[in-house]
Amino acid sequence: MKASEGMYDEAVLFVTRQGSQVQVDGGRIVVWDVDGDEGRLASRPIEKVDTINVFGGVNFSTPFVAKANEHGIVLNYFTQHGKYRGSFVPEKNTIAEVRRAQYALSDDAELEIAKAMISGKIRNARTLLSRKGVHGTEVLKDLGVRTEKATSKDDLRGTEGEAAERYFARLDETLTDGWTFETRSKRPPEDHINSLLSLTYVFMKNEVLAALRQYNLDPFLGVLHADRHGRPSLALDLQEEFRPIFCDAFVTRLVNRGAITHDDFRTDNRLRDDAFDTYLSKFDDYMQEEFTHPYFEYTVSRRKAIRQQAILLRKVITDELDDYHPLTFDR
Amino acid sequence: MKSPPTVGQRDKVVHVSALNEYVYCPRRFYYQRYHDEIGTPYELVDGRSKHQNQSNRGGWITERYFRADELKLHGKIDLIESEGGVFTPVERKRSESGQYYPSDEVQLTGYCMLLEAALNEPVNVGYIYLYSTDERHAVRITDRHRRTVREIITRIEEMSVGSIPPLTDNPEKCEACSAREYCMPAETARLEPEKAAGTGWEDEI
Ligand code: SF4
Repeated sequence: MKASEGMYDEAVLFVTRQGSQVQVDGGRIVVWDVDGDEGRLASRPIEKVDTINVFGGVNFSTPFVAKANEHGIVLNYFTQHGKYRGSFVPEKNTIAEVRRAQYALSDDAELEIAKAMISGKIRNARTLLSRKGVHGTEVLKDLGVRTEKATSKDDLRGTEGEAAERYFARLDETLTDGWTFETRSKRPPEDHINSLLSLTYVFMKNEVLAALRQYNLDPFLGVLHADRHGRPSLALDLQEEFRPIFCDAFVTRLVNRGAITHDDFRTDNRLRDDAFDTYLSKFDDYMQEEFTHPYFEYTVSRRKAIRQQAILLRKVITDELDDYHPLTFDR
Repeated sequence: MKSPPTVGQRDKVVHVSALNEYVYCPRRFYYQRYHDEIGTPYELVDGRSKHQNQSNRGGWITERYFRADELKLHGKIDLIESEGGVFTPVERKRSESGQYYPSDEVQLTGYCMLLEAALNEPVNVGYIYLYSTDERHAVRITDRHRRTVREIITRIEEMSVGSIPPLTDNPEKCEACSAREYCMPAETARLEPEKAAGTGWEDEI
């Protein structure tokens, strides 16, 4: 099978240089070093970009914002250290038929989609462990089977929680000496590895958000994560299958290869500025890195694979496909 | 002067370009109509800039909008040649292959029918101009052409969001289809083979 043309790999742009400005120049987006003397820092054709993430003191020129609106480009604002601040979402035409189908999904249909996502996540968790030589994950296998029999969302959430616990208990074994998960803690990250995981989940969530927005699904209406004001539940749902195989795998790679060391953290467990820049560029590279798609047999970048999953999700929502097909890796 | 169409009327008339889209692939037309997923065909972008260079010449009428409620058809004719009181629509195509397609003929027929309705006299010839060869082909508009247009209009009217047209019976079209990334024909055939049953994609996997 042949892969369709790569359009998404450069779709997301990260701007971290403090004091820079994002401008338009003809048909291109240009990041300009206005404070310093380095001039043009980056430049991309405007049709290729759909999301720009800016960190800290970065400005947009007024003509650029008008263009962003016109071309449907989303602008996400973060603090210099990666804490999400908010977004500019263009007034791109919301496609009524798609939204209507999404809002009309029955509880049963939502549960079916959610089951596929969680069973995909558990499958991928096992695969990651086995790739790293961690064996004896039959419990996870059983839990995967259990997801398929879930009769309610609560039931499914319970199974997911148990699987996550089992999985994280073994993930330590994938790390090089000197690193440990201990317990997976949420805000505030108690240790370095948790800090990296949290950061990666935030970035992955933004990748997924960009994909959902691109295909006009409402990211705030989930199928499994409870809807809470301001929480992108559907993005969190779709992110599940990518967590082990993309997010956790990325973090273990960072530390195992020494791209990030303990010295790169500040005392509050956050990354130092230069390490954060390293992190971002590694993350973007990782998203553009290609692999052989497990069912389609062509090579795709991770970013594109994520967008394909958003399309497949939309197709099940609009009734074009019968089931949601998560991206899973058996090996 | 005609009054502007009401909301109801606007939704009921079919745009001439839709005829061409529908003939190319009903599924792509469905995506465009209901999902706004089509991408921008290269041909369109390129055509647009070329059109600008060719407007405003003598003996030509450019960019004229027509609507014929009795035909349930509307659309803009980019170029009409007027010579000795005879009006002939011209449809310009990029077409690398140096040929035009049945779908282009259908579209041209739509233009002729719109012009007919506006002039109240028969328009039996249209031109297809191909940039690649710089040649103009005269097409005789027959009753069969007109019947085809009416039939397609009916089929378009009968379309509904709840029933998506199948994958094309000619996978070669997918190669050049701007909706391909979204349509995912090969991927669909792989994931849910029954969805490809009876289409050209059935044999591809
Ligand atoms: S990819 Fe093929 S089946 Fe899909 S819309 Fe295009 S031509 Fe039709």
